[in-house]
Amino acid sequence: MMTYIDYKDVVPKAVIGLVVLLILLVPIITTNESTLSILILSGIWAIAVMGFTLVLRTGQFSLGQAAFMAIGGYTSAILTAQMGWSFWPAFLLAGLVSGLAAFLVGMVVLRVGGIYFSIITLSLCEVIRIVAQQWESVTRGARGLITAQPNPIPLGFFEINFFSSTVPYFYLTVCLVAFTALVFWRIGESRLGRSFAGVALNPVLAEHQGMYLMKYRVIAFTVAGVFTGLAGSLYAHFLTVLTPTMLGLWQSIQILIMSIVGGIGSLVGGPIIGSILLYTFGSYLTRLDIYGIQQLLFGAVVVLVLLFLPKGTGLVDLWGRFWTKVIWREKEFEMDEAEE
Amino acid sequence: MKKWIIIWAALFITVLTFGLASAQNEPIIIKVGMPTVLSGPAAPWGQVGMDPYHAWIDLFNKEGFKVGGKTYNFKLITVDDKNTPEGGAAAAKQLIYSDGCKFLAGHWTWNFPSVATVANQAKVILLTRTGNEAVPGGVYDPKKFPYVVFANDSMGQYIADHLAIVEAYPKYKKIGILDCVIGKGPAADITVAALNKAGIRFVQEWFPFGTQDLTPYITRFKEAGCDIVYIAGWVGETMAFAKQRWEMGFKDMKVGHSGPFVSVDMYLAVSGKDAAQGLIGQYWTSWEFKKTKVNPKYIKMCKEVQEIVSKKQGKPFNYTGWVGWLPNHLLILSQAMQKAGTVDDTDAIMKVIRGGTFDTTIGKWTMSGAKTYGSPIVFGCPAALSVIKGDKEVYLSEHPTKPLP
Amino acid sequence: MPPAGIWIDGLIQSCAYMTMAFGMVLVFSILGILNWTHGQFYMLGAFVVYYAITAVGIPFPLGLLAAGVLVAGLSILVKKIIIDHITGDLYVGVATMGLIFFFEGAASMIFGMQDKGLARVLPGVVDLGSFSVSYQKIAVVSFTLVIMIILFIMLNFTRIGLAIRATAQQPDAASLYGVSVERLSLTVMGIGCGLAAMAGGIIAPLYTINPFIGGIPMIMSLLAIVIGGLGSLTGAIVGGLILGFLNSVVAYHLSYLSEVVLFMLVVIILLVRPQGLFGASVK
Repeated sequence: MMTYIDYKDVVPKAVIGLVVLLILLVPIITTNESTLSILILSGIWAIAVMGFTLVLRTGQFSLGQAAFMAIGGYTSAILTAQMGWSFWPAFLLAGLVSGLAAFLVGMVVLRVGGIYFSIITLSLCEVIRIVAQQWESVTRGARGLITAQPNPIPLGFFEINFFSSTVPYFYLTVCLVAFTALVFWRIGESRLGRSFAGVALNPVLAEHQGMYLMKYRVIAFTVAGVFTGLAGSLYAHFLTVLTPTMLGLWQSIQILIMSIVGGIGSLVGGPIIGSILLYTFGSYLTRLDIYGIQQLLFGAVVVLVLLFLPKGTGLVDLWGRFWTKVIWREKEFEMDEAEE
Repeated sequence: MKKWIIIWAALFITVLTFGLASAQNEPIIIKVGMPTVLSGPAAPWGQVGMDPYHAWIDLFNKEGFKVGGKTYNFKLITVDDKNTPEGGAAAAKQLIYSDGCKFLAGHWTWNFPSVATVANQAKVILLTRTGNEAVPGGVYDPKKFPYVVFANDSMGQYIADHLAIVEAYPKYKKIGILDCVIGKGPAADITVAALNKAGIRFVQEWFPFGTQDLTPYITRFKEAGCDIVYIAGWVGETMAFAKQRWEMGFKDMKVGHSGPFVSVDMYLAVSGKDAAQGLIGQYWTSWEFKKTKVNPKYIKMCKEVQEIVSKKQGKPFNYTGWVGWLPNHLLILSQAMQKAGTVDDTDAIMKVIRGGTFDTTIGKWTMSGAKTYGSPIVFGCPAALSVIKGDKEVYLSEHPTKPLP
Repeated sequence: MPPAGIWIDGLIQSCAYMTMAFGMVLVFSILGILNWTHGQFYMLGAFVVYYAITAVGIPFPLGLLAAGVLVAGLSILVKKIIIDHITGDLYVGVATMGLIFFFEGAASMIFGMQDKGLARVLPGVVDLGSFSVSYQKIAVVSFTLVIMIILFIMLNFTRIGLAIRATAQQPDAASLYGVSVERLSLTVMGIGCGLAAMAGGIIAPLYTINPFIGGIPMIMSLLAIVIGGLGSLTGAIVGGLILGFLNSVVAYHLSYLSEVVLFMLVVIILLVRPQGLFGASVK
């Protein structure tokens, strides 16, 4: 298992501030809806990837995270499209329902460990997709649900209108990503986060020290479920449509690849970097005219990252290496790496 | 020194004049974006149309079309949509906002809502086909999507296919209809209603996505007494079905699919020569329609395209599905632009398209919306069918597609 | 009671899943990794057989052998170049997931995406009254039997089989007794992936061949080995049999609902017996 990077030391507040400022200015720098849309979707995936990484912190390898996106997405899609709710309460309820589902599933399933847990979550993911397909009276099956757009928010002289452009969605996504990142960062810093790592690194020792494994696993799974559900709701509303094939096994695998390629050393930096880079890369591959080269390049990049940035340090570690070697030039850090 | 300056100046002026002159003759390009599937399991069906589309556009561009004294040409830009709504929306946004397309064309089903939303927000005209989403009960709503043109009535054609089968085999016992479960939806409901109304005997079955082993479904059809099974557009499954029913000994069960044969050789190779005999498919290429009149100019053009593509790919190119889609979309579009006298005012062009009459590859079509799905526009190829005999496909029967009430 | 055709069909499915699952579980028990690329080796095996027959013109059984050998070589390369240089089971698993995309893309570029078929290999059927069985299906069953017998003999009566069983139980102890775990794991990787390729090659004439046929058999054999118990060779066979028959029989009775039954069954089995039917208990 790898050591977790303490990004408090590596990334100074000024840099974080600069990055946040840059992100906030994106809609002013570019008004291209296509670019914005790629950023929004990578933000949405980043939330799900953060959830996956949190579950992985407790040593559980979930192959069903897309199912919680589907639960969240369907909750708010059904509420808005079938029952006439407005976006905001449906959005919040999506997170709650997904969290509740994660809690209930977690209570039953998390006592199974290792690869068996992965297979159970994989199967549940497929079951959710099939149920969404068959339960036509509620989910409208394959014909899909058309989700409602959030109502315009009047702000006196100015109105935030989700119909006319994607900029409000961009800021909504940025807010949600920032909130998720803040929560996950606080969890990672706290006693709880260290307990997660302890549970994963040595379950037997952790149990002997009086830590109840299930408690930590269920907490991580539920928190991940809540945020993944919110991401799913945003996904469904941003794309305006939700069909059962949109969130299945392949999307779960995509989440997992983004997480590992981005780096699991940090709960926040790795997932965000991994999803933005991989998603953008994937979007630009769609323009290539040679059939099959998209998949080939995507696969090659994943394998290369795993070969050259090993042990799940991922792309985020490039930053850590750059900072420690080029900016700080401190011997101490290099020694740390050598030991590792 | 002065001499050189004069020579350079003369050269410069010559180049400039020629440049300007050629620039004036140079046709102006109109970009048509096409989000289509180019990766993943469905990619062959996006890929197979690419060469003929480009060849057809090249032929069309030789003449081009004139609007307000200027000559215009079409250019097709394709972006992979990965066959998902997410990919469809992303591809449509790239085409509209990065490439500046004012027109999109495409013929998918489950991407329709996301692409249509993007196109309508940008006031971009979307030429597509009718299908699961694009009928009442689906997501289509003429008020929500005013820039959508159903330039091809796949839905009506699918229903008419069944009628054509009945015309060809009037002594049939029962038709089995097989579709993948992800195709469930309003289109299937409408088909069932239309077939019931026409008094056709049939049973319907669904298989899960990715099924290659169809033995259980063959057995179910057999027990229900079907002697014809028609499969909704799943080519790989159709070939597997034909092969497996042959191996199970149900040799008198006829099998067909909606969609033209991709290449007869492929069916013979996958199903086996004996099992592939009598396979039914849609039939457009050779234009040997018996009830529908085809403009000879377009017959010539299409045959030329088949030859060009055969030469390019180095093997006979028999696929005919492309004829019904993009060529007709572009013909309607170019004529609408001429009538509207503009190439970029999409509102004016839509106004002309609604209720207008256009010359298409299969004759004049009036885009009357009152009769069809609440949408303004439907154009339809006839449901002409063929069967595989030996190693060739031959004409079977035909049923003209009419807009549904 | 379903008719005989359904049972035969179930048997064919079982044969494919069994061969796949057996190779997968063999790799898992020695290397300790789940090879997610297994389905793509199945696909590549089908393509090798296809080109061996259509382009080179060698007979079907030799083509099968060629598929096994070539893909085994490829899998050994994959192990040498990629798997050996990545530490941690989790990361190896993810790398093999990346290889799924890589191989599917490479196959699309090299072989094209359109369906290919091998129906002319062993055409013809045996008529048995109310139903008939094709020679191809008989070939699938007999081939699987032969493979299983060869593997049984190899595992139980040869030195390498002893080494495999010993290493699967206790890698450290086995290496103390002079087993080169490194060389053994290369052999096992080759055997396991070669099995997948041969399963693909033997099943290919029954269905269509394209770069994406590996996905479903991969998921099915994964479920089979998990039901059977990871690391248990008997479990892989029993799991393959259960899934194969279940798929056909449930699809016959419930049509498209068979999917949900299958996945629910897996969940229930794993919740009741987390270590699978034949697995040793796990933490």
